[in-house]
Amino acid sequence: MVRRATIYLMAGTLALAMAFIAGSLGAAPRLPDIPNPKVAAEAPEIGKYGGTYVISSISDFRTFNPVVSQDTASGLVTGAIFDGLVEQNYVTGEIEPALAESWTVSRDGKSWTFTLRQGIRWSDGKPLTIEDVLFTFQATFTPGVDTSNRDGLTFEGKPVRWRKLDERRIQFTTEKPIGLFLRFVGIEIVPKHKLQDALAKGGAEFSKTWGVNTPPRDIVGTGPYVLQSYVPGQRATLLRNTTYWKADRKGNRLPYLTRYIILIVPNVEAARLKFLSKETDAYSARPREFAELKQLEKQGNFTIYDGPESFGSEFLVLNQNPAGVSPPKLTWFQDVRFRRALNHAIDRNTIVQQIYAGRATLAWSAVSVGNKLFHNPRVQQYPYDLTRAQQLLAEAGYQKGTDGVLRDGQGNVIEFTISTNAGNPDREAIGNILRQDFTKLGMRVTFAPESFPTLVGKLTGTYKWEAIVIGLTGGIEPATGRNVWLSSGDLHMWRPNQKEPATDWEAEIDRLFEQTSAEVDQSKRKVLYNRFQEIVATQAPFMHFAYPKSQPALRNTLGNIKIGLQGATGELETRYYKTVFK
Amino acid sequence: MARAALPRSARLSQAQELAVSAARTPRALAWRQLRKHRIALIGGAILAGLYTLALLADFVAPYSLDLADRERFFHPPTLPRFVDDEGKVHLRPFVYATVLADPGLRVYRENTNRQYPLMVFVRGEPYRLFWIFPTYVHLFGVEPPARIYLMGTDQFGRDLFTRILYGSRVSLVIGILALCVTIPIGLVYGGIAGYYGGRVDNVMMRLVEVIIAFPAFYLFLTLSAVLPTNVGCTTRFYLLVLILSFIGWAGFSRLIRGFVLSLKEQEFVLAARAIGQSDLRIIVHHVLPNTSSLVIVVATLSVPGAILGESGLSFLGFGIREPCASWGNLLSAGANLVNLSRSPWLLLPGLFIVLAVVAYNFLGDGLRDAFDPRLRTGSGG
Amino acid sequence: MLRYLARRLIQMIPLIFGVTLLSFIVIQLSPGDFLAEIRLNPVVSGETVDAMRRNFGLDQPLFIQYAKWLWRLLHLDFGFSFAYHVPVTWLIGSRLVNTLILNIAALVIAWLLAIPIGIHAATRQYSVSDNALSLTAYLGISTPSFFSGLLLLFVAFKTGWLPIGGMTSLDYDILPWYGKILDVGRHLVIPASVLGFGAAAGLMRQMRGNLLEVLRQDYVRTARSKGLAERPVIYKHAVRNAINPLITLFGFEIGGLLGGAAILENVVGWPGLGRLILEAVVQKDLYVVMGSLVIGSFTLVLGNLIADILLALSDPRIRYD
Repeated sequence: MVRRATIYLMAGTLALAMAFIAGSLGAAPRLPDIPNPKVAAEAPEIGKYGGTYVISSISDFRTFNPVVSQDTASGLVTGAIFDGLVEQNYVTGEIEPALAESWTVSRDGKSWTFTLRQGIRWSDGKPLTIEDVLFTFQATFTPGVDTSNRDGLTFEGKPVRWRKLDERRIQFTTEKPIGLFLRFVGIEIVPKHKLQDALAKGGAEFSKTWGVNTPPRDIVGTGPYVLQSYVPGQRATLLRNTTYWKADRKGNRLPYLTRYIILIVPNVEAARLKFLSKETDAYSARPREFAELKQLEKQGNFTIYDGPESFGSEFLVLNQNPAGVSPPKLTWFQDVRFRRALNHAIDRNTIVQQIYAGRATLAWSAVSVGNKLFHNPRVQQYPYDLTRAQQLLAEAGYQKGTDGVLRDGQGNVIEFTISTNAGNPDREAIGNILRQDFTKLGMRVTFAPESFPTLVGKLTGTYKWEAIVIGLTGGIEPATGRNVWLSSGDLHMWRPNQKEPATDWEAEIDRLFEQTSAEVDQSKRKVLYNRFQEIVATQAPFMHFAYPKSQPALRNTLGNIKIGLQGATGELETRYYKTVFK
Repeated sequence: MARAALPRSARLSQAQELAVSAARTPRALAWRQLRKHRIALIGGAILAGLYTLALLADFVAPYSLDLADRERFFHPPTLPRFVDDEGKVHLRPFVYATVLADPGLRVYRENTNRQYPLMVFVRGEPYRLFWIFPTYVHLFGVEPPARIYLMGTDQFGRDLFTRILYGSRVSLVIGILALCVTIPIGLVYGGIAGYYGGRVDNVMMRLVEVIIAFPAFYLFLTLSAVLPTNVGCTTRFYLLVLILSFIGWAGFSRLIRGFVLSLKEQEFVLAARAIGQSDLRIIVHHVLPNTSSLVIVVATLSVPGAILGESGLSFLGFGIREPCASWGNLLSAGANLVNLSRSPWLLLPGLFIVLAVVAYNFLGDGLRDAFDPRLRTGSGG
Repeated sequence: MLRYLARRLIQMIPLIFGVTLLSFIVIQLSPGDFLAEIRLNPVVSGETVDAMRRNFGLDQPLFIQYAKWLWRLLHLDFGFSFAYHVPVTWLIGSRLVNTLILNIAALVIAWLLAIPIGIHAATRQYSVSDNALSLTAYLGISTPSFFSGLLLLFVAFKTGWLPIGGMTSLDYDILPWYGKILDVGRHLVIPASVLGFGAAAGLMRQMRGNLLEVLRQDYVRTARSKGLAERPVIYKHAVRNAINPLITLFGFEIGGLLGGAAILENVVGWPGLGRLILEAVVQKDLYVVMGSLVIGSFTLVLGNLIADILLALSDPRIRYD
């Protein structure tokens, strides 16, 4: 009798113990009001509460309305105050749940259903409902609202359709399957109860709402911080949101920091100075500054990290548009052998040394080396070799005469103008280097920087340019740059707005992009992107120079620092101070 | 005449000096006063030196304007030395060749094995002396692979001393050229308005006031932002001159007009009118020449304004553009905190700007004192 | 006097009108508009940009745009900023006070420096100290403002005595009222010194010249020959008369209060009107530029008027009908 009782007791204790262990190990942390908070998985450490985190911004904020905001500075504030249905993991680039705790996609790829996380409240206490999500999308598509989010949600001219399924679910439907849908659907959600009056007055009125002249307590969001004050031209101060829906692995509600301050500084010099004098805690150094700042690490109590390459680069593009250039120049620029020869005459190593102080990787592909998801290293390369360039030119019929001048088959002297936007020292430096090397080939090249609006007017309006050195930033998915790569795109710089693809390879790129847009499986998209990069490298419409590395610098007192894509150092909500005294 | 009767070396008593001075022209009196103002003379001498350097820029500069040494960017100044590494003194100054030791920290290492003596009248890049005579001769230089970068190099490896010399042509001349446009227009416009007075004056001055009411710097800024940017350096230079003139002529006209207004009641004008001279003749022959002292003073005091204005514009990116050099854009390119600590020689153009502006101000001050009879010293009062 | 005032005020109206027309023409001369930056965003389509252009009214013919703007101006509505989506009046207003503070501080410094130095220089014309003082004063105006601003920032950085740019510290809001004044004062030191030094030089020269002229006047000679000591002669009689014309300069300074210092504000990060206007010119934020130019011109003209009034009040020889 006693033996059986003992066995029962032991089994029961064991079971209890196991349940207890299982409960504390594997169960997801809970917050009192949020049954399923998102757990910050990328952060390596559990942090301490308290502290003020100060960063600098070169421009002033233009608006606090996330629907309307299009510039980086405003994004610093709206990004801390608002969230979208989904968000991008800053290390892997994958899309993760945010306000939506899960989603499903229909088998035909045309319908996406998102389920809202329960318990989330706005910073004024009202609950987040599916009505707010509907309202945000409605506002995005209201005519007159000054937003750029519409384009990402419009496919082949038709906007995405949405409808409410129930109190927690919303369904989006597209005409054809859109694989990239997740990349565009994460627009920041705004509260209906605060903005519906403004939207009722029309799109123009909505664009003016929640501008920088708004009293801070009116700006209501779901994000980790709430706007406490804004002093025009000087700074914005944000305070911790005590009802935020993310937690760390131990179940502590995020964020850790009490205050988040964004200082407005006039230029990069001032930003650096404030960082070195410990007025700010973070600084994105330029490649040139890395070696010097490394020496100042001890004195300034900070660490400068050797970050990965950014996604954008500068490149040279030749005008192949008959509406902008006439023969014989048109003939040369449209001749792929001419372009390939020029590509061999670009001294990328000097560019890397002089402009980036060695901290850049040579660019052969249109997709950055730093884009770990989609970069294709196996594309054609064009090492700097003037002899080879001259040889290729000769084979294509461009001969250097006894006077040292290069002429085409008809005897025309090869001459053209390279332009770029004035005031950008990196681009001006590159232009100078190119001009000198191309001149060695016997060409007569002029380098003429011009004002940015003029340049843009030529690129997108009159098309009257010959060669331009310019740069584009990139998202992680190349297909988000549709306007650039599709032959019908208006940023398809060398020959925009084509009714039908002018060449076979441009037609092939069009097909590849169509397929990637529809393809939901990421590994299949990668195959398509690989082929896209091969074509671009072989045909050389853009001649990329190098992908500069990032070198973020952070005060040593900060924790949860893990370098991600393009030099991002961590998430705002998991940042904390190792020793809290302010 | 009293002057011819006196031997030059004779010392004059005060009374005699008074008598002599009474017979001199205002120009000569002013010159005498100016000579007393020693600082003004120093200013004048400095300017003379700077303008000579500007004229002979191609000759004095060891390298050409956009020669970029790709392996020697941010190179510190290489001054000729007399004492070598081991402490031996050489009579002939020399330099060592350098190589880039650390691209990140921009550190150069000298190769002390070989000395490269400083040579004068060397053969260098071809150019045209005084824009006419083709020649190869430069004032000084050293044999490659050594370099003589008296003021270091910039981020492209271009010799700063050379660029400062060429830049002086732009900075020192821009104000003067603008004056060449402003002064004639201002004289005519202000002269007519002041002389005729009344309705004519009223209407003419309204237009002038609109321009004056405009905050000058913003007008300069917006007009420069408007310039087509794919024009060559020289064209842009002339366009900037035109803009400066457009801003300057209004104030100048008003000044002239005020002066003429007071002059026209004077006796010599009334006399000329009495004998029946035409208005135009009176304006041109009697009134305007009397404004000459005013013109000279205003001129010397407005040129420094042009130099500073151009440097401010270049700082904002609207002034003279690459690859041309002006002191303004050289200073703007060099004036940042990274350079202050690591490559401070890039701030030398600032020194030249200050020097020229101070010299002009002293000269202008001296001239103003000299032409103002109330400020004369040593002759009465 | 009152009639004169009224006449001048009425004359201001066509003047301001002329200024606005000039600003509009000048800005429209350059190609491109505010939307150039958005245009190069690979995610944004051409149609969206065109729609934005329609929203801003930038697609209409120029004279219609000008007419509409002028009409709104008469109702004291300066329009909206393209970049900020807020009324231009709010934007300018938020920065106006800052620029005023800076310029007033600079004026005070300038006058405190110029008057005594001018007196000293005049009483010792051409002496070593006169030349030395002139030299220092000229160094002040000869250095481009961005250069001296940069040097001072660097000194501030190295010594840690002064804050590096900006106008207020992070904890400004919780400081007591005297703490707030001290905080702004510390931030004012660098920019106000640069500006003040520059203005002082011109004032000093004026003071010196005026005093020299006065000292040669008969009544001064009379005072001296009456046996009065040098100091009261200078300070009681001469200086008072020499300062008079400078008062009119004060009027001009008021007019220039909003004008300059744009570059300096940029370098030290002073959140004033100058930075705003510069940004607006570069971005072609049309209505912000025009609004600021109008306000700037208005204060300049007003300053002129005040200067003339002060002159009339102080100098009984001048008569206006």
